[in-house]
Amino acid sequence: MLRVSDISAGYDAAQVLHGVSIRVDAGESVVVLGPNGHGKTTLLRVISGLVRPTGGSVQFEGEELVGRKPEDVVAAGIVHIPQGDLVFPMMTVRENLLMGAYRRGAWKVRKDGLDRVYALFPPLKERSGQLARSLSGGERRMLAIGRGLMGDVKLLIVDEPSLGLAPQVIEDVYAAIKDITREGLALLLVDESANHVEGMADRVYLMETGEIRREGNAADLLGDEALLSTYLG
Amino acid sequence: MGQLLQAVWGGLVFGSVYGLMAVGLTLIWGSLNLLNLAHGGIYVAGGYVAYTLMVSLGFGAVFAFAGAMLVSAALGLVLYAVVVVPMLGKPGWDNASWIATVAVSLVLESALLLVYGPEVRAMPAAIDGAFVVDQVVFRYQAILVCGVAVVLLVLLHLFLKTSRFGLAIRAVSQQMDASRLMGIPVALVFLIVMGVSASLSGLAGAMLTSILALSPTAGFVPMLKALVVTIFGGMGSVKGTIVAAYIIGLLEAFVQAFAGVAWSLPALFLFIIAVLLVRPQGLFGTPELQRL
Repeated sequence: MLRVSDISAGYDAAQVLHGVSIRVDAGESVVVLGPNGHGKTTLLRVISGLVRPTGGSVQFEGEELVGRKPEDVVAAGIVHIPQGDLVFPMMTVRENLLMGAYRRGAWKVRKDGLDRVYALFPPLKERSGQLARSLSGGERRMLAIGRGLMGDVKLLIVDEPSLGLAPQVIEDVYAAIKDITREGLALLLVDESANHVEGMADRVYLMETGEIRREGNAADLLGDEALLSTYLG
Repeated sequence: MGQLLQAVWGGLVFGSVYGLMAVGLTLIWGSLNLLNLAHGGIYVAGGYVAYTLMVSLGFGAVFAFAGAMLVSAALGLVLYAVVVVPMLGKPGWDNASWIATVAVSLVLESALLLVYGPEVRAMPAAIDGAFVVDQVVFRYQAILVCGVAVVLLVLLHLFLKTSRFGLAIRAVSQQMDASRLMGIPVALVFLIVMGVSASLSGLAGAMLTSILALSPTAGFVPMLKALVVTIFGGMGSVKGTIVAAYIIGLLEAFVQAFAGVAWSLPALFLFIIAVLLVRPQGLFGTPELQRL
């Protein structure tokens, strides 16, 4: 479904990614693990068109995405939920969600989208009229995820959903992501710790200093404590 | 009593026009982080387009106003092409961009000077005449200006609040990366914002120059006042800008009525200095946040 081949990328003089290749098959949940500052976010930004790579290719359902604009990537069915709280702070929860349905096809069925997201995250329904900046950290994360689900998504990309959240809230967020993937959506998630991805990931990549060091089935890799502590500390 | 009511009415008229000009500045500031100092030049260009259509070519007022809006919108797109496209996202955008708008403004003023000459022209009113209630004079032109401005400001507010594209404009102004990830075409949003705000400024010029006067440099003072309104409203907040426009308009009308016209600019600047000391983020602004 998604095939990232030999991607190199960076900012100005600093090269961040050195020939990264990963793939996500239909319906599969793939997790890229690695310490902070080693290129995971940059990899996702390359896929979604925010960063132009210096080499390599990104193919989605046979279509080349390198050189395409972010809006074309969204149109192809890839939704990227960015790290941190990239919600629209001065817009209400409902308006934030509606922006997830910006594409014309999704906009037509935006009422259904809202119902679906509210069913998944009931707190968002209660707060639908509140400004996003008044939400708690966990609610904001749910809003960012829910907003990503408003469009016609085939592949969901999530950047470190646990960042900066309290442990109990992290559990809730991961539980919600698990629920979403049960509907057959493909998932590409990056995180710096292996703690929460067990039982969710089908395959795992270990990433370090901009390169993929290991790849394997989740059951094998996540069970190997020695390996994980080598790469993730 | 008559003088008081006359001042209130004058304030509403001024406020309406400042609102039309200032929402444009606010929209551009909010979405592009650009202080557009060519806004006054576009205002005057709108005035001259309307003047040419009405006086030289004999068209009706509606046609003249529509023409002023169209030409101004085109100037907004030119501004987009020569300032925004080559500079946006490059280092130094914050300063280079507004300096470039000053340059565009100078070119525009000089072009108007070449074509129309330096003399001050009187723009005819779209509708002549007035009626008097309790010694307060309501000129039809002033009623028209006020009515058109209020309708447009309400429409703009509804557009930003409810329509798909309007919401997208606010989204881009608050979180550009997230907007891109939602599939919002950011470049198109910038283009529309420039076009809409320029056309509103041009319309303000077409309507207000029949109350004030028309000359190549006549846009400077209205732009200064619109800037004061924008800062007072909290740079980037459309609702705040509209409220601020009427407060500033009323303030100006009262100062003119009771202290004399000479005091109107000094009074406005003293007022905005005081406001900034007490509330630096303006009326509806939020500190340290992208707004709109």
